[in-house]
Amino acid sequence: MIVGTRRNRMNHRVIHALNALVIVGTGAVLLLPNFSVGQTPATATKAAASAPVQAAKPAAPATAAAKPAAIPRTPDGKPDLTGYWTNATYTPLERAANVTKQFFTEQEFETNTRNAAVRDEQQTTPGTTGDVHYDFTQFGLDKSQNTFAHDLRTAMITDPPDGRVPAQTPEAQKRSRDRAAAYKVPGAAYDSVQTISISSRCVIYNPPPGPPMLPQGYNGNYQIIQSPNYVMILFEQIGDIRIIPLDGRSAPPPTVRPWMGFSRGHWDGDTLVVETTNFSDRPEGRPRQLSGISDNFKLIERFKRIDDKTINYEFTVNDPETFVKPWIVNMPFTKINGPIFEPACHEGNYGMLDTMKGAREQDKKK
Amino acid sequence: MRSPRQRLVFFAAAAAVCLGLAMVSTAVQQTPPAPAAAAYRAPRTRDGKPDLNGIFQAMNTANYDLAPHNPAPGPLLIGSMIGALSATPPGMGVIEGTSLPYLPAAIEQKKKNFETRFAEDPEAKCYLPGVPRFMYMPYPFQIIQGQGHIAMISEYKNALRDIYMDHQTKAPADSWMGWSNGHWDGETLVIDTTGFNDRSWFDRAGDYHSDALHVVERITATSPYHLNYEATIEDPQTFSKPWKISMPLYRRLEKNAEIMDYRCVEYSEDLIYGKYRKEPIK
Amino acid sequence: MRLRTAVAITGISLLLGSVPLWAHHAFAAEFDVNQPLKLTGTLKKWEMINPHSWFHIDVKGPDGKVSEWMVEGGSPNALLREGVTKETVPIGTVLIIDAYHAKSGENKAVGRDFTLPNGKRLFLGGSAQNIAPEPGK
Repeated sequence: MIVGTRRNRMNHRVIHALNALVIVGTGAVLLLPNFSVGQTPATATKAAASAPVQAAKPAAPATAAAKPAAIPRTPDGKPDLTGYWTNATYTPLERAANVTKQFFTEQEFETNTRNAAVRDEQQTTPGTTGDVHYDFTQFGLDKSQNTFAHDLRTAMITDPPDGRVPAQTPEAQKRSRDRAAAYKVPGAAYDSVQTISISSRCVIYNPPPGPPMLPQGYNGNYQIIQSPNYVMILFEQIGDIRIIPLDGRSAPPPTVRPWMGFSRGHWDGDTLVVETTNFSDRPEGRPRQLSGISDNFKLIERFKRIDDKTINYEFTVNDPETFVKPWIVNMPFTKINGPIFEPACHEGNYGMLDTMKGAREQDKKK
Repeated sequence: MRSPRQRLVFFAAAAAVCLGLAMVSTAVQQTPPAPAAAAYRAPRTRDGKPDLNGIFQAMNTANYDLAPHNPAPGPLLIGSMIGALSATPPGMGVIEGTSLPYLPAAIEQKKKNFETRFAEDPEAKCYLPGVPRFMYMPYPFQIIQGQGHIAMISEYKNALRDIYMDHQTKAPADSWMGWSNGHWDGETLVIDTTGFNDRSWFDRAGDYHSDALHVVERITATSPYHLNYEATIEDPQTFSKPWKISMPLYRRLEKNAEIMDYRCVEYSEDLIYGKYRKEPIK
Repeated sequence: MRLRTAVAITGISLLLGSVPLWAHHAFAAEFDVNQPLKLTGTLKKWEMINPHSWFHIDVKGPDGKVSEWMVEGGSPNALLREGVTKETVPIGTVLIIDAYHAKSGENKAVGRDFTLPNGKRLFLGGSAQNIAPEPGK
């Protein structure tokens, strides 16, 4: 049985947070969170610091002195992206206001991570609404008990250099407002399930599964299965699946617009380039930064497996109708152990029934 | 024998009879096979396995009812005017025989399911289809043969079957789609699935199972255009003996055939939660 | 009431940093912060479903009558990757759960803490600093 005592937990956990560094580059060692008191954490080794990222290119491999690591390949010679991955990270999307440099030092990274782990561990105060929740850490759902990226960047946005999302055009802002109004559900919260968030309804998760694939609060895990002509990406929350054909087919007619758009991929050397168009008009299920995208918006993603433990993931937003300048995001996807257990969110959504029943009980008391 | 001539005639006749018998017996023993083509050999993937990649779909009424069935009306919704759109078409069935071998204790539940099917069918609630229903829902599904895994993804909810190929694994917990281990038996993909919960149905007629369900499937490419599909269903808590279904699964041949994103949760919500609305839906 | 709840949850989630409580269904809408409970019962079934698992327990009341409760916990995904299975917490295990009662009034609750009779917490994590006071105090 998996148990832990509070007192021993704390020290182990902080040590784990310091040691749980997954290294981008060669010689990575995964530290698995352990829950048996007395088990020795594996030693993490550090590679050379992540190379600075150049805009519009996948991250360069580690310093010239290190040989490029051999990567697994499919029987037809392509980099194999098969496996279980996470993009969990402590790196924010946008650079914090009080930070100007592009990279933290290793020391700063460790401090930030340790502080974040301590925050993750903080217990809520009984009797407050925030306490009305199961304990994330008890189920190992907090980042510090799982694999997260060893990424020294101060922001995932690597272009523009200020690390911030560029401004939207006035047209984009209007589209954003119009869409919110068009899809607003009448009635007060809990009058009907349609007034409740789309992810609580198990339709699509928010933060959304992508594309683009932004990190999640928890369960930000993916499984990839790959054949010569298709790449399938399963997302752990709610279980969304992207099927990306690699056979050079064109996009479907502009009137067919699913939640995740249509993706088409091709290999450019060892980089999988994926282009997605035909995004649905519905603003949910898309990062809020992309709520105002134009109908012609095309997202470009690049996946490059650089070693056994890492896929470098980059996406480019370049739509003059929406943003005054392009922006590029980089993050590592880090290998984790499987499985991704069946996401049967809607099937098990007792919470929605209970919330609605509870709301009607509350109505009676008014 | 009377004379050399008579002997000759006798032996000639005997020889003729023998030859005739031999010819007949040859004909009997070597009944020429029906002029069939040699067994189909699917193209190979790069790692030498039969290539089952593609998009496939069943073309039958198994999803309505596995057993042979007559046409039947659906709910008549006066307010919404659905008419014949909700009716069940007839079908010859995909099982052996005319009904599933329910245990006497289980048949009451099947009847109850049938009577309440338009509200209780997991498909009406946009719930996962389970196995083998995934394979004969009226939507295409895609097979992606990868390294160590074969994925099957349905257009219905993008339901996923993840078949573990490299190593046999055990279900850590029960699930709607079960836990599948697969291996190759010559040209045939054999999939063994356990670890089911008891919540899915086999069809819209209320055929159901317990969490003791065990399904073994055999999938063989039989031509460039179809797969032969057989499944043996075993559930000693529900059925008195295992039973089988079989059907072709047809390749979707359209150029650029593609699985689309049929997300039906929103269409099922008022069925499930409608009575808890502030203004209840009746 | 609802607006204040929403603001309070957002505030807490910012404090907790990376854990976006608002991204979940609104727990405080489903369960009542003013109805903390301590449930002691034997496990009948652990529905290991994603994204929330549910513990079905038989609770013996002061009158000796046994009633079944359902208690919500976290998703089992991380645990499964650590080798936890349905056998890890066997049927019949006694669980002591600090919980909040469902607003619907039914025998349902969200479990803020799951412990065993010997005081050990189920599964992972937890801070040494916070010895949570008894609910209701």
